[in-house]
Amino acid sequence: MLQATHPFQLVAGLLVWAIWFVVLYAGLSVGCAVAPPAAEQGDLNWLNGGLGAISLATTLLLVLAAWRCWQAAAVPSVDRQGAFFARLGAAIHGVSALATAAIAIPVVAYPPCV
Amino acid sequence: MTDSQGHDGGAQHRRLDAVWANWPGWRTLAAVNHTSIGLRFMLTGVFFFLVGGVLAMLARTQLALPAQDILSADVYNQVFTMHGTVMMFLFAIPVLEGLALYMIPKMIGARDLVFPRISSLGYYCYLFGGLIILSSLFVGQAPDSGWFMYTPLSSAEHAPGMGSDFWLLGITFVEISAMAAGIELTVSILRSRAPGMTLRHMPIFCWYILAMALMIVFGFPPLILASVLLELERAAGMPFFEVAAGGDPILWQHLFWLFGHPEVYIIFLPAAAVVSTLIPVFAQRPIVGYRWLVLAIIVTGFISFGLWVHHMFTIGIPKLAQAFFSVASMLVAVPTAIQLFAWLATLWTGRVIRSLPMLWIFGFLVIFVCGGLTGVMLALVPFNWQVHDTHFVVAHLHYVVVGGMLFPLIAGFYYWLPHFSGRMSTPVLGALGFWLTFIGFNATFLLMHLTGLLGMPRRVYTYEAGLGWDWLNLLSSVGGFVMAAGIALVLLDIALHFRFGRPAGRNPWNADTLEWATNTPPAPYNFASLPALDTRHPLWRQPELLQSIPAGEHGLTDIRHGRRETYGTEAVSGRLREVIHLPGNSWLPLLGALMLAVVCVSLLVRIYPMALLGVVGAAVFLLRWGWENGAHPRAAPLTANEPDNPPLHSRTCDGPGLWGMWVTLMANGTLYLSLLFGWFYLWTAAPQWTTPETLSVDRVAMVAAGLVLTGAVVAYGRLVRALCKGRATFLAGGLLLVTTLGCLHLAVVLWALLGAGLTPTEHAHDAMLLVMFLYLLFHAGLATVLSLLQALRVRLGYVGVRLPYEPVVLRPLWLYTLAVYWLSVALFLFLPAAWGAGG
Repeated sequence: MLQATHPFQLVAGLLVWAIWFVVLYAGLSVGCAVAPPAAEQGDLNWLNGGLGAISLATTLLLVLAAWRCWQAAAVPSVDRQGAFFARLGAAIHGVSALATAAIAIPVVAYPPCV
Repeated sequence: MTDSQGHDGGAQHRRLDAVWANWPGWRTLAAVNHTSIGLRFMLTGVFFFLVGGVLAMLARTQLALPAQDILSADVYNQVFTMHGTVMMFLFAIPVLEGLALYMIPKMIGARDLVFPRISSLGYYCYLFGGLIILSSLFVGQAPDSGWFMYTPLSSAEHAPGMGSDFWLLGITFVEISAMAAGIELTVSILRSRAPGMTLRHMPIFCWYILAMALMIVFGFPPLILASVLLELERAAGMPFFEVAAGGDPILWQHLFWLFGHPEVYIIFLPAAAVVSTLIPVFAQRPIVGYRWLVLAIIVTGFISFGLWVHHMFTIGIPKLAQAFFSVASMLVAVPTAIQLFAWLATLWTGRVIRSLPMLWIFGFLVIFVCGGLTGVMLALVPFNWQVHDTHFVVAHLHYVVVGGMLFPLIAGFYYWLPHFSGRMSTPVLGALGFWLTFIGFNATFLLMHLTGLLGMPRRVYTYEAGLGWDWLNLLSSVGGFVMAAGIALVLLDIALHFRFGRPAGRNPWNADTLEWATNTPPAPYNFASLPALDTRHPLWRQPELLQSIPAGEHGLTDIRHGRRETYGTEAVSGRLREVIHLPGNSWLPLLGALMLAVVCVSLLVRIYPMALLGVVGAAVFLLRWGWENGAHPRAAPLTANEPDNPPLHSRTCDGPGLWGMWVTLMANGTLYLSLLFGWFYLWTAAPQWTTPETLSVDRVAMVAAGLVLTGAVVAYGRLVRALCKGRATFLAGGLLLVTTLGCLHLAVVLWALLGAGLTPTEHAHDAMLLVMFLYLLFHAGLATVLSLLQALRVRLGYVGVRLPYEPVVLRPLWLYTLAVYWLSVALFLFLPAAWGAGG
């Protein structure tokens, strides 16, 4: 399943994105319920920092996975079906990385619990 | 009948027809064939569309002039609620499901869907559920809280009549139908394509439908749970949404929109499937960017689940959270744009044939792009706040839904009309119908954007003169009636074409996909022989299929055994692996659905003993359904000359049933996750959530019950592994042992529940615990009963070394039951204690 030419790559990147998104929203909600940072701290606080770090790590992971799929698609011995999954997987990981980065950008702009 | 049917009009056709045909007369109600079921879905959907349209016209009549009292405020509330409910739940989703159920087997070269009785059950659940909801109008008790039924407006305190109950019970009933279609379509697309049809050779239509089906599987359970919880609150007083008792009405909004926003894409994706199918045909070239389209479909399927909070921007959640959902809402426009550019590029590089279906596609492109743009506007939080609950949102919604679904649907109807009837429509009347609809629609809803920007709120039954809304509302109402006239002309055109339309002949549009290789209208078995395919465009690359398929030159032509059969293939490679034998006409789906209707109506009028009888009746019919499988004499009994290359699916350890079980459990798992979400949401966000200082559930007993369950599951797994290796010496005894362990587990859990002294009508905490207990008991009970039946089937020779399939199919249910049990014990019983509450 983890092979770059496996059809699981068609959903792997977006599954990672979905799990990250749940962690992001749930983390924010639980963080605000349990230990809300003061509004005066703005966006520089433990909660935004944590969410930002998780988002950055997820984005990098997805970019890496996209690169791996793209490389696999270029291997001459890969059959057409495998190349189809790898190329599509590369694009899906790439889109997932973009979506992760774009959605996470507000953590550097807003205080979390206001 | 067209001339094309002469090709297979011989003895082979008669033999196939004898096996596959529906029973004649009123007994056709027992039909399970996908062509019949798909058509019934579509026709019923059109009926509900007309009902919804009449309700819309009533609303527009009321709003045409200021200070009118044609409808009272109360009746107006019922009218707009029922309009939205009927259009979304009883028209949009079912009609597209019907189209998919009708088309998919024909496009993938199969004779039927893999679970035909489930299709039939789904149809009857839809029909009965829809009629139950509709009946509320005639008893003056229609729901009146809006199609999204927000609590507390829909709760017993503010909606004391039966209106909300009609909605909650009826919609849940209808949702059984959607789930059935979702599971059916997923497994059929993955496991019954023509040999050689790899995933990358699938028609693009199938990718869209696969995404839609999986979105149904994951998207509907949150609403099913929400409906069950709200009905429990209304009927039994369990306060899930009542703040004073530890509940929270916002939980309803989360659960509803967790379903509600993906639902927009659930109806858009199949409509886009129609567009992506028609444009290449009328451009006479393959679609540009097949891979890009697949990318866009998959991305849409996922991202659309991350937008739901944009419906809740005004409820007071933190701005950072709003920003997350705002960006996600804008991002979903990207895959939609990819599709749009692929369609434009295909048209640009092709030689476009002007036709009636293309006229509707043109209307779709214009309207849907406008709807998409206003969607991006609404994704912006400050703008969203300004126009929230105004007619701007109503206009946006209709641009997206009518433009994105109705126009492609009518394009598809016109395109496949020759397939349904064997005749072509009349271009003049059809074109007139289009232009009236297009002009009327824009007159109604383009102006409504302005009405909303000028501040007119939605869901008000009248307004004062002189607020600047008068002429806009009048023109919107006139536009509405023009649109209605357009739809009437379309319906007239379609009705007349059955009499006056010229015969279509075979493949009248020179299409590339395989559904046009059937007769028009199609025979109940679709194809007299099943070809191997390795191209996305079979009728362009291999036009001889039009003759060779009916001539019986391909596979699976032997019908002497009298079984309905189609090929089962590997999900990715399309390699042939088994012959799937399918059930024939059956009353069981209708009887099962009737019993469920009894349950629904009994709960509605609160005659609970009758509801219990209905449950028992439904269980009897559904278990009988499961009994007539595998080697049962009415299915595929063992014979001396068993086919083995490929084998029948019930003689293997893998097959569509196993896939169906896993997909069902994915939906079930989503329901469970929704329950977990509700638990944690109330725990962290409900203003007056309270946890008892000492938890009364006996946790030692629960752990002991879990160990017994674990033993049952381990034993069952060993039995199945041995069976698939050809050993069945202790099979019946082993299944009885598993049944005994299941009963013991049930007894201990029930004892723990009864001894817990929960007060579910006083505290949301205890109400959630009770629902969790009932969920666990239901699953363990079901797995136990089914295992007992398997033991009986071993004794009768329906299960054994040569027939290992059924115990294999049941195994995931045991695994799932075990997983949710331990998860529940950990998260509902131990985690609160570890957190310092309920110790």
